[in-house]
Amino acid sequence: MLAVETYNLTKMFHKLKAVDELNLEIKEAEIYSLLGPNGAGKTTTVRLLTGLLRPTQGGARVLGLDISNDLQEIRSRVGHLTETPALYERLTVRQNLDFFAKLYEVPETEIKPRIEEIVDLFELPEKLDEPAGTLSKGMKQKVAIARAMFHKPELIFLDEPTASLSPESAKVVREQIVKLAKKERRTFFICTHNLFEAERLSSRVGIINHGKLVAQGSPAELREMRKDETVTIFRFSTWKSNTKEFFEDKKIEIVEHNQDQKYVSAIIKDIEKQTPSIISSLAKNNFQLVEVKHEFPTLERIYLELVELEGVPREENNMEDS
Amino acid sequence: MDWGRVKALVKKDLREMFKSKYILSAVIGMPILFAILIPLSTLYPMVVIDPSEFEGEEELPASFSNLMSLIVPNWDDAGAQGQLLILTAYIMYIMVLLIPIILPAVTASETIVGEKERKTMEALLVSPLSETELVTGKILSSFLPSVIGTAFAALTYGIITNITIYPYINSLLFLDVLSIVFLFVIAPLLSILSVELMILISTRVTSVRDAYQLGSLVVLPLIMIVIGLVVSYLFISILALIASVAILLTLCAIFFKIATNVFDRERAIVKLV
Ligand SMILES: Nc1ncnc2c1ncn2[C@@H]1O[C@H](COP(=O)(O)OP(=O)(O)OP(=O)(O)O)[C@@H](O)[C@H]1O
Ligand SMILES: [Mg+2]
Repeated sequence: MLAVETYNLTKMFHKLKAVDELNLEIKEAEIYSLLGPNGAGKTTTVRLLTGLLRPTQGGARVLGLDISNDLQEIRSRVGHLTETPALYERLTVRQNLDFFAKLYEVPETEIKPRIEEIVDLFELPEKLDEPAGTLSKGMKQKVAIARAMFHKPELIFLDEPTASLSPESAKVVREQIVKLAKKERRTFFICTHNLFEAERLSSRVGIINHGKLVAQGSPAELREMRKDETVTIFRFSTWKSNTKEFFEDKKIEIVEHNQDQKYVSAIIKDIEKQTPSIISSLAKNNFQLVEVKHEFPTLERIYLELVELEGVPREENNMEDS
Repeated sequence: MDWGRVKALVKKDLREMFKSKYILSAVIGMPILFAILIPLSTLYPMVVIDPSEFEGEEELPASFSNLMSLIVPNWDDAGAQGQLLILTAYIMYIMVLLIPIILPAVTASETIVGEKERKTMEALLVSPLSETELVTGKILSSFLPSVIGTAFAALTYGIITNITIYPYINSLLFLDVLSIVFLFVIAPLLSILSVELMILISTRVTSVRDAYQLGSLVVLPLIMIVIGLVVSYLFISILALIASVAILLTLCAIFFKIATNVFDRERAIVKLV
């Protein structure tokens, strides 16, 4: 059974197509990341899948249940971390967790031990009995993540789970996600624009832009798509004046050469075959090679190519640069 | 419907409300104003006037006096000053009956629109709570503080007026059918109706402030209903009272249905933005 399956899922807000004929298949125990720029339709997709919004066209099955008929059951079997932490700030952390535990019908006797357990797992603050409003932004987010997983759902939707977390906290959360997927076969559907995270965490990544899926596959598969763009760097201990000519003679496309840093970067066709012969030829010609390194195209480069940045607000561009 | 979930929601809402200074002061302040300050400031000046001042004043119309004697024990022996005090006490009683209409509008705005405003509604809407459970829970949690407020108001008001008026009639006021039916049947029904209308409003607004503004438009017709009912009972009959209870019950049921249908998940979210 597929954990999530959408067919031509479409959502219009007036004339805007927020989600445009989306076809996704997410397998059980998979960690799937939906990547996309701001306004791409990630949140809308997840909202459609837990029935907060109704599709304009198309449909979907979640845990084998139809989103137009079995919402109540879907909601009790999935966890959903919404875009905002949505904690009751006047209530304590414990009261927040306790309330949602009851909505999800976690047996009374299991609530207390589960709170202890989840505090431990996610390294939540000891301030369990203080108003949630007094926590820091990142702490609130961690409590919200813990809350989404409190009732041990089979499928968990996380809308930008680590956006406000510090690197250590984000790491803890990622480790828990991987552990739960592996050991307990839970499925994760994660919306994010954090490429680093998507690359390390996910078994598969979908890239969405303007509501449309523009690419999908494991991070390795996506990189494979752009294999011919791999840059190879040759570094030498001493720089010979004919270095550039050597590469040009071999009809190798040079990306960059730097005499001070003593390296040449080039794009080699058919890396596996060509690299060894270039190395031996360099040795024969008395080039003092100290390092050869392939730089495969990163997910970031592929992502940025797929998602034209025009529609993205300025600050976002700046953030990408810095 | 799962009552466990409804109970959890109500408990959560009440906990939240009683941590809000604003709601607390409404629940305590409104009864103090309507049941203590206003009555005292109206009744007390009449008490201190010398009874002889009332002599030679025009008598109440006989038909009206007859009606009052049906409700008030020893009406005929109360004297002109006593009768005026009793009449004022009954008119002021309408004030007490406004509490169960106004308070739930305040608490409903807080617990429903407040959840939207503070962006907690979405987490609630993705939980397994059904529309019926959500609406039932919200009605109860808006209703309960107003029950406390109304009970406090009615009790205080009863004590104050009875202490003032007892010397004139040697008997207790407000133990008649009218007062009791109003307090225990009509007021709660109006409370529920008030909450249900607030739920309809809440699907249209995103801030508590807007909810109050629209809410006052809802409260107004309900207040007219109270006044209309008081008057109609005085001049028509107990049948009118029974009929109005039946109509109110029907309205509550109809609006419950409408509220659960309108409290549509999609609209609640779309209106968040
Ligand atoms: N309730 C709504 N009413 C109208 N338009 C909406 C609504 N919700 C979302 N949209 C629009 O739909 C598009 C997709 O929004 P969505 O929130 O799904 O993006 P996202 O991928 O989650 O973005 P972000 O990374 O900023 O969270 C946007 O253009 C947004 O303006
Ligand atoms: Mg989003």
